[in-house]
Amino acid sequence: METRQVLRPLGSLKHTTPSSAVTPVFRSVASRRHQSTTSRTKKALKLPPHPDFLTPQSGQNHVIFNPPAAAPSVYHTPFKFLPKSDPRRQANLSQLLRSSSDLHTSSRSTELPPPMSKLEMRERKYNVTKEQVEEMRQLRAADPATWSVLKLAEKFNCRPYFVMICCKASPEHKEMENKRLEDIKSRWGTIRTKAREERQKRKELLLRGAL
Amino acid sequence: MTVRALERISVGQNGLGAFILQCKKMDIHYCDQSGSSRGMNAFIKSQLSKFASLHPQIEFAVSPRPRKHPVLIGHYINGKQKSICVKNMDSLQVLKKAELLRDASGEKTKRVNKPITSINESVRGVWSPYHGKGMPV
Amino acid sequence: MKRIRIGQLSRQWLATTPARSPTTTTATTTASRVSILLLLSRPAPAPTALHAQIRCQSTTTAITPEAIFDEPESKESKEPPEESASSHQANSPLPSPHPDKALRSAKLASLHARLSLSSKIPLPTLARALVDPSADAHPYFNNANLAYVGASRLQYHTSEWLVTRYPRLPMDIIFAAMKSFAGEPALHRVARSWGVEAAGAPGEEVDPGYLQFAKDKPSVMMHKWGYARAEAKELVKYKWRRGMSSRVVFDDPFGNTIPPKKTNEVEVSDARNTKELLMEDAEKNAHANFVRAVIGAIYLHCGSDTTKTFVKSHILSRQLDLSNLFEFDLPERELTRLCDRENFDPPVARLLSETGRLSRTPVYVVGIYSGRDKLSEAAGANLLVAKRAAAINALKAWYLYSPGHVGLPSDTFAEDAAPWKPAYVDIGEIIS
Repeated sequence: METRQVLRPLGSLKHTTPSSAVTPVFRSVASRRHQSTTSRTKKALKLPPHPDFLTPQSGQNHVIFNPPAAAPSVYHTPFKFLPKSDPRRQANLSQLLRSSSDLHTSSRSTELPPPMSKLEMRERKYNVTKEQVEEMRQLRAADPATWSVLKLAEKFNCRPYFVMICCKASPEHKEMENKRLEDIKSRWGTIRTKAREERQKRKELLLRGAL
Repeated sequence: MTVRALERISVGQNGLGAFILQCKKMDIHYCDQSGSSRGMNAFIKSQLSKFASLHPQIEFAVSPRPRKHPVLIGHYINGKQKSICVKNMDSLQVLKKAELLRDASGEKTKRVNKPITSINESVRGVWSPYHGKGMPV
Repeated sequence: MKRIRIGQLSRQWLATTPARSPTTTTATTTASRVSILLLLSRPAPAPTALHAQIRCQSTTTAITPEAIFDEPESKESKEPPEESASSHQANSPLPSPHPDKALRSAKLASLHARLSLSSKIPLPTLARALVDPSADAHPYFNNANLAYVGASRLQYHTSEWLVTRYPRLPMDIIFAAMKSFAGEPALHRVARSWGVEAAGAPGEEVDPGYLQFAKDKPSVMMHKWGYARAEAKELVKYKWRRGMSSRVVFDDPFGNTIPPKKTNEVEVSDARNTKELLMEDAEKNAHANFVRAVIGAIYLHCGSDTTKTFVKSHILSRQLDLSNLFEFDLPERELTRLCDRENFDPPVARLLSETGRLSRTPVYVVGIYSGRDKLSEAAGANLLVAKRAAAINALKAWYLYSPGHVGLPSDTFAEDAAPWKPAYVDIGEIIS
């Protein structure tokens, strides 16, 4: 680090400041001669040290904060998961104050990153009444072919998952559906069959944390 | 019960915790008559008892091989063995060779081009392009 | 190897071989630890041949079988070792080497030194630790009793270390971690890394430095190493469900059932060892028993502090990534249950960064938040996979919480130990 600093005086660091970060770099790339020599390559590879590593103007000791560019380890317990008795909880005052202020202010979801999809953002609605559930069950029991799960979900304005929680199809209907699925699977070619098998394998690997 | 356990076996690293000397046995072969064993015989007479008492971990077996060059054979915990022919060496050179066999791990010699090899996970993790704030160049 | 005499050297080395006294416990002089194997042209000296048929184990004073076999019926069947030994015919070979031979085995002395064992542990004890019950059925001369003591010490130290170091581990993971440290496959590897060699076949003529077990005979395991359930037969026959919490009380220390005792067992030993079980892998079992027996011998001769240091340096210093032991079923649901139980805000998945959404290989980085606190994050090739991986990471971060290097309960056994500060105890695993 020290030698680099000497070789490359601080004056050349000015393009790392955010105000003039973009244009000088592009200009220097555009105006670079394309005859590479050892010294030119070496010069081009001479990067300035990260600003954190430079001694500040005041010359005081300072803390270098340079978090790793890596996914966090699972051995690093998140602040929220630390038990009340843990000394790390008291040591991390800023987090402690932040989480206590969280309790008073309610909706902070706007500060979070964007949601994965629109489905994530929809509110849960508890609109199906007990009578409607009864009706749903009757319909499903009477004619499971017509009143499929999707149809019922559409009719009662709920999720298919909720319909599947409420109703249970008869064994005959289940068998018929299974047979239909088997028929479909038998028509699959080798490529699709293999792709589905691999998808299953990937799922198992994911749950083992091996993916 | 949503968590199930997978079976793994812990990995031992020699020297982390306890250290086991990898050389477990040393065969020492000499010849009474031939001149190439002169240094070896001197080693056995003058230095071997001290060397052996310094290394009780190693089992020493001294046996003659008439009309053959003197040999040191080290047997290692990983099942391999290393042999060094010590013909025409003086007793100090033989001692050096014995120390070499003692210090060997029994592995095949291979090129070491990294200062440290470790099975520990890196402290700063594996670099990922999606993390860290990066630095404008 | 050809046995011949080394003229001048043998005289000076013969002086260093210890005086052979059959029953002494302190026969291990420092000189005998110098393990130089002399290959002499002479046969074994005559006195050895005379008392070769009377075996006295040096450890019989230190460890009595009553300490472990406390059943009343074993008292009657017990005989003094001299009588039982003399009941052997004078010309029938002993099943395992005579204990006196231990003092003259270079292999054994080098093993003793290699493990840096204290000089308090006599060589005959180490030789006894190398004899598996399948080789010698007599409990005075095999390692069954030593291994029983050693196993309990080993499992005690391993489990206390695991529980205080990672107080939130689910029971199944603790069992698996116990097995990966103190289980049979791990102990087999430990024994191999100590340089223990197995004898081709057990017998009187074998060097006592070899591990002796019978490969053709079924190997045996002590029955009392766990609690055999009354319904063990039905568990096997009808595949009854076996809850996790019952495994804490019953079963062996690794959460496996002890199979029911068979009525007509294969004859492997004397009448004393009636409560025995057949093991699958004789070699692994014998190696593991040797490690346990060494720990038992250390405990009996040197005390609990030395045992703890030995276990820590040889067993607990081995590396195991506990985060690799987990296999989840429904991680998202479990995380929701956890947040519900701990009164955290319900977890939500948010997209931290993404690349190549329309390409063949997209990468999404999804973070899981509870309130404003980020619990975990993970990358995946599609949104659902990334979310699921992030939920798995959050659960692992919860379970793998460690209070750091806190003291162990066994630290307080020392004379001048600080009073025990209670360790963090978790309320239990998440049930969903």
